[in-house]
Amino acid sequence: MRAPPARADAIQVDRWRFYTLAPALAVYLLLALLPIVNLVVMSAHDIRWQQGAAQWTLVGLKHYTELPRDPLVRAGLANTTLFALLAVTAEMLIGFALALFVSRIVVGRVLYRTIFLLPILIPGIVIGAIWKLMYNPDFGIINQLFGLVGLAGFDWLGSGRLAFMSVIVVDIWHWTPFVFLLLLAGLESLPEDIHEAAMLDGASAWQELRRVTIPMMLPVIVVTLAFRLIVSFKVFDEVYLLTGGGPGTATEVLSFTIYRRFFTEDRMGYGSAISVVALFVLTLVIVLFMGMTRRRMHTN
Amino acid sequence: MIFNRGAFVHSLLRPFIALAALVVTTAMATWGGAAFAQAGAPWPKVSPITIVINQSPWFGGFSKVVEAYEKETGNKVTLDVNPFAGSGEKQRNSVRAKEGQFDILVMNSAWLAEFYHGGFLTPLNTIDASFRLDPQVMSYDDTGYWDATKKSNNAKTGVVYGVPINGNIQVLYYRSDLYEKAGLKVPQTWDELAANAKALNSPPNVYGMVQRGARSASDISYDWMPYLHSYNGAIFRDEKAGDFTVTINSPEARQALDMYVNLAKNSGPPNPGSYGQAQVIQALLTGKAAHATPVIAAWPQLDDATKSAVVGKVNVAVLPHGPGGRTTPTLGHFIGGIPNNIPKDRQVAALAFLRWFQSYDAQVKYAQTGQPPIRIDVYDAPFMKSPDYRWSRAILASLPNAKMMYTVPEGPQIASVLELRLNQAVLGEKTTADALNTAADEIHDIMQKAGYKTARLPALK
Repeated sequence: MRAPPARADAIQVDRWRFYTLAPALAVYLLLALLPIVNLVVMSAHDIRWQQGAAQWTLVGLKHYTELPRDPLVRAGLANTTLFALLAVTAEMLIGFALALFVSRIVVGRVLYRTIFLLPILIPGIVIGAIWKLMYNPDFGIINQLFGLVGLAGFDWLGSGRLAFMSVIVVDIWHWTPFVFLLLLAGLESLPEDIHEAAMLDGASAWQELRRVTIPMMLPVIVVTLAFRLIVSFKVFDEVYLLTGGGPGTATEVLSFTIYRRFFTEDRMGYGSAISVVALFVLTLVIVLFMGMTRRRMHTN
Repeated sequence: MIFNRGAFVHSLLRPFIALAALVVTTAMATWGGAAFAQAGAPWPKVSPITIVINQSPWFGGFSKVVEAYEKETGNKVTLDVNPFAGSGEKQRNSVRAKEGQFDILVMNSAWLAEFYHGGFLTPLNTIDASFRLDPQVMSYDDTGYWDATKKSNNAKTGVVYGVPINGNIQVLYYRSDLYEKAGLKVPQTWDELAANAKALNSPPNVYGMVQRGARSASDISYDWMPYLHSYNGAIFRDEKAGDFTVTINSPEARQALDMYVNLAKNSGPPNPGSYGQAQVIQALLTGKAAHATPVIAAWPQLDDATKSAVVGKVNVAVLPHGPGGRTTPTLGHFIGGIPNNIPKDRQVAALAFLRWFQSYDAQVKYAQTGQPPIRIDVYDAPFMKSPDYRWSRAILASLPNAKMMYTVPEGPQIASVLELRLNQAVLGEKTTADALNTAADEIHDIMQKAGYKTARLPALK
């Protein structure tokens, strides 16, 4: 039996769309997947250079079995997870508060928005230089301010947990504007009449925030959170510029471990294996997170 | 027609005369660099070249010498300047490409082995058969030579692959004004240094000893090596003889690490485990360090009134040594090499620069920027007797004992292990015995996987 004419037309249009998009899809898949396939292949090899040529030796899963014993991988994974949780939580809270504040004021909104956005416009390398100088225990401005009020300064990047927290502070300073920008756009797109209706119903500001604004903002919050989680798991430049992973392994993060193993030590196969695991962990985190939030939104 | 025999012979010979003239001119232009230079004649015109180099404290001096080369010869040199680690990575990428981007690689001792073992460099004699390292150029543990069969640096059995660019080694910097005031003597041993450092320790204004205790690609491991070697310890039992038994956890190594950690605890700044090279030099420049052992490349800033608060108040001496040992600085020098994968004309041009660079006149210019010359005879030049060059005697006395940190391509992996474990010892996260035992296990593992004949010592208690 043949499909009715309208349905047949729709199928034909769908096919047409598929075929016309296919070349672009093929190029995209090639560009997106080829580096990952290459990474996986490299991770199963030892690559050494002799007589000016690369010698690839197949080692199978050997690199993967070494990973759990690698002290830098262990420290990197633990620190990256903690870093992402602390930094992203703080950025989301501060960014949302700033966005709420700016969305509610009338006078000076453009000025505030511009000021709050400034850190994200500064290149990472400059941020590293600025904060390295500010954190300097001898002549950094932070210790000088402490000195003005009679307090002893700290070696902000010199000792374990303090160095870790100092790097998180820089990340918060750097990335909160991004969260602020996305959430502000979300807040400004909410229909005004719902706020007015809530006010007429006698809802307090807290009730309006909890029962109206946050539920309506949930899709934007989730996307922002997911985006920040992904980026914070890949943190590199702040650690590279401020602490180099030290003291000890206090600020070692996974990206920096990959850099060290892959580039500094020239272990391309092993470095690729760490990258594949990082990719897998990150994908897993994002899939679980998205699944949980989707279920939550459906429930709501 | 009148036959003119003279004209006939002349016209017959003219092409041969022209050809002979062309051959002579080309030969002079191609091979005659040394002869020209020795005779004071102009240097040959060659293709423009690019040198890849790192932005180390000695770079300012090198760039001035490059300017002098361009002025003197009319040849063009482009400097590709990078942070230390970035320079190594750029060099690695360039030599692994089909055609290299750089004509001279300024290679640090830390990554020299990788380039030699990888077969990326051209023997300089294949570019010009007459090329030799000038006998006045210092040997730096034969690192300009490579024996591809024995896989070792050896001037007797190997061929010349590189010209030293900077003879960076560690020396002891000390505050001569404080020494005078306290009536102290320049230390010969680490114990004497520890006593002097304690005597001058007055935190937070002056720290008795400031060390490179940070963990990076090469900070604390490089800083600690002179302690290890001068206590008669070593990473391997006999690297040159091919015995890669790991000896980093020997009793001598433990004594060396105990000394290093005690110096940091008793006379160092509050967080010695976070001080890299830049922080150590900063401490010297601001007068906060009574002693430090950075490389000699840091020197020019100390007598520069625009950068230093201690002009004329710092002096240098050879590094102290352990009991029964001798002063053993670690080579942190740079070798200029020419890659295989560049066209012949650029190789010729690169060699012309290296040939010029090792000349006496060029090295005088280099020394006058405050950097250690690579030629021994320049140290005898009259200007080197001036107080401005008071570092030169210490360098000359130290260099014969200077050692490479490692000569295997797995060096960066070994350094990575040492950086972490030594840093943990300084931070107090591990005891010295535990740090060295762990390092020994990890280095043994690296060497075993790479296929070396290796073993390890029993664990320290």
